[in-house]
Amino acid sequence: MPPLLAVRNVAKRYGAVQALIDASLEVDAGETLALIGANGSGKSTLSKVINGVVAPERGQLLLGGRSVHFDSPHAAKDAGISTVFQELSLVPQMTVAENIWLTREPLRRSGMIDRRTERRRTEDLLSLFAGTLRADLTPDTPVAALLPDERQIVEILKAISVNPRLLILDEATASLDSRQVQRLFELIGQWKAQGTAIIFISHRMAEIEQIADRYSVLRNGQTVGAGSMKEATANDLVTLMAPETAGGAVERRRLSSDILATRRIVLQIDDLRTSVLRGVSMQVREGELLGIGGLKGQGQRDLLLAIFGGTPWSGRITLDGKPVHFTHPRQAMNHGVALVPGDRAGEGLLSIRSILENLLVPSWRNYGFPLQMQRARRDASAIAARLDLKMAGLDAPVSSLSGGNAQKVVIGKWLLRNPRILLLDDPTKGVDIATKAEFYRLLTRLCEEGTTVILYSSDDEELIGLSDRVIVMHDGRISSELAGASLTTANLVAASLGVASGDAP
Amino acid sequence: MKRLTISPPLAAVLLAIVLFLLSGFLPNGFGGNLDVATAQAINIVRLSVFLGIIAAGQTLVIISGGEGIDLSTGAVVTLTAILTYTIVNGRNEQVLPALLAVLVVGGLIGLVNGAGIAFLAISPLVMTLGMAGVVSGLILVITHGNVSGAVAPIMTQLIARPVLLGIPGAILIWAVFAALMWLLLERTAFGRRLFAIGANRTTARLSGINVTGMVIATYALSGMLAGLGGFLVVGNTGVVHIRIGDPFLFPSIAAVAVGGTLLTGGKGSYFGTMAGALVLTLITSLLTTMQMQESVRRMVLGATLLTMIAIYGRQRGFRQ
Repeated sequence: MPPLLAVRNVAKRYGAVQALIDASLEVDAGETLALIGANGSGKSTLSKVINGVVAPERGQLLLGGRSVHFDSPHAAKDAGISTVFQELSLVPQMTVAENIWLTREPLRRSGMIDRRTERRRTEDLLSLFAGTLRADLTPDTPVAALLPDERQIVEILKAISVNPRLLILDEATASLDSRQVQRLFELIGQWKAQGTAIIFISHRMAEIEQIADRYSVLRNGQTVGAGSMKEATANDLVTLMAPETAGGAVERRRLSSDILATRRIVLQIDDLRTSVLRGVSMQVREGELLGIGGLKGQGQRDLLLAIFGGTPWSGRITLDGKPVHFTHPRQAMNHGVALVPGDRAGEGLLSIRSILENLLVPSWRNYGFPLQMQRARRDASAIAARLDLKMAGLDAPVSSLSGGNAQKVVIGKWLLRNPRILLLDDPTKGVDIATKAEFYRLLTRLCEEGTTVILYSSDDEELIGLSDRVIVMHDGRISSELAGASLTTANLVAASLGVASGDAP
Repeated sequence: MKRLTISPPLAAVLLAIVLFLLSGFLPNGFGGNLDVATAQAINIVRLSVFLGIIAAGQTLVIISGGEGIDLSTGAVVTLTAILTYTIVNGRNEQVLPALLAVLVVGGLIGLVNGAGIAFLAISPLVMTLGMAGVVSGLILVITHGNVSGAVAPIMTQLIARPVLLGIPGAILIWAVFAALMWLLLERTAFGRRLFAIGANRTTARLSGINVTGMVIATYALSGMLAGLGGFLVVGNTGVVHIRIGDPFLFPSIAAVAVGGTLLTGGKGSYFGTMAGALVLTLITSLLTTMQMQESVRRMVLGATLLTMIAIYGRQRGFRQ
């Protein structure tokens, strides 16, 4: 008998980024498949191919042995594939019941929505998680009033309410507490017994070991291994997930700890707390390139934002031996700190303005009154030339640039101010390989000139290749620090997943 | 093939010129008489000055983005016109104190607008609409509906009469004012930051711009410019009444839009607004000359606004 779902040799490219090269998986009715891989290995893209959000360029989807094409999430849903999304898809203004039955409301013969049936069915669903939810959570509670874990559960109930043949859980446990996770696992057991197939995507190795029957590992968009969980250990999986240290694109000579120790401490952080961070302490030295690793959303963004004065924080930050408390990015900027934010279009660029203006936004003050436009233009040209910016001209809108070139503009606006500390939030995301290599050379040169760089990257290879030292963050804290010989891809992946680093090969 | 694109301010100016030339063929138009045509043209420009200056503050507020709009403009114009009228009371030496007073009062009202929008996160529409109500009520309370005073001879002389080569003072004032507005928007850090916060406030903040301060300053400036507008309006008409500013509110927004300034912020120019003020004033006076009713005038103005904005929208759509 053919498997319920078979994915064969799927490929997908987003602009310059090849998200999937050759991904395959099979899942049978009544079985749980763990889809695992490091950051950026293509897990989310593959799940989006399966649920019809993304159309693959090559490859095949076989449902019960028959080739299928989903041109929308709706088509996949009609075929019995339901997904619990990582980015929540609920409407905050609507109630729990309205959200779950949205577009599938039970109707009375008159064509009006049958609220009583809708409420009863919602109560049945909520009872699945009874005991792990607040008692006053009813079908009529607006979603806006729910906590993140409760929203996640509503999301799960919405996905299961269609009685799917295949349920995809994409990081669905990330915001649940342990009781809720255990209840979910019991339910998964029941659903399996009823013949539902489940694809479970998680970064938590312990959960994968507990719930999965089989695994399929993605690495850089390719399926590199699959098998039964009974015959695999956590370390086997980590080894599969960790990319071989090709290192071709990234070449930077690491500063040894001896050399680093002679350098001045530029930035010292003690017990830094924000709404996300739960006590972070670290120090960075002049000319050092400090990497920040870990799974996505573990507080890396908040750490960089707090240093830059972009989010309220408590604790102590010392810059060049003097305590500082930046409450606005302007203050950080005037102390020589610069931030390249993670959301390029939303936080880094003024999309409708010209390249010239984007480069000069932080620097207008330096051009007097009236503004010396010729000097400003000369400076912007110089930076554009230094970064080898491919553009029609300085007056072209920044929205006309490719992803890599747009990112150069964000970096360029700070280089114009010669920052002493450069903070980067996943700067090479969505950037083509050639431009990435240019970035690596640029960062290397900046460090040689004495700039201190703190780099968060979702690309482990990049972190390993560039950093003198990597701190790994987990749940708002630094969970481990890798340097020297222990700074390997395998250790980084293991540390990110919470597997003790000593055990990894 | 290179597509012909025309910048919105230029389109508005061309529209104004075409309309003006066409108006020559009206029964009581200037026909072929160049002197009459010049006189009429000067008169149209003179009439546009007041809308043009009142719409300057609106331009700044709309460029600043964040759904920026100043609906208190009309009420502030009324209040400051009345203030000017009573403070001056026919005396030349009181003109400068009156000007100072209206700038301060307009600025303070704008400051409160800006503070409400920036600190209390009230939407600009609601905040300035509420402020318009408060100011209108205040005017009624203070004046009880009748205002006594007079403009000074020097005001009439400088604003309403020809000053240089037969050009009315108001037009000269507008020319200087336009140069200052250009300087403010294009050649000061404030102006560049204004466009930045209009384009993307998060990016602006993360680029070190004090967005809160900018928003407050912009609304304060808008209030001050409305105050200047009130001063000039009363200087031109010589009389005041308690609704004198109201007819300027809708056109002040329309002039900005017709001038091609993005209503979502981040892009625009004062020259566009000037051209918009010309177009709107020209259409109004043409229709008045043709003895059209108020209702028809409104419909034509509204339709013009929709047409121009639709054309600009299409142009942008094509380019992307």
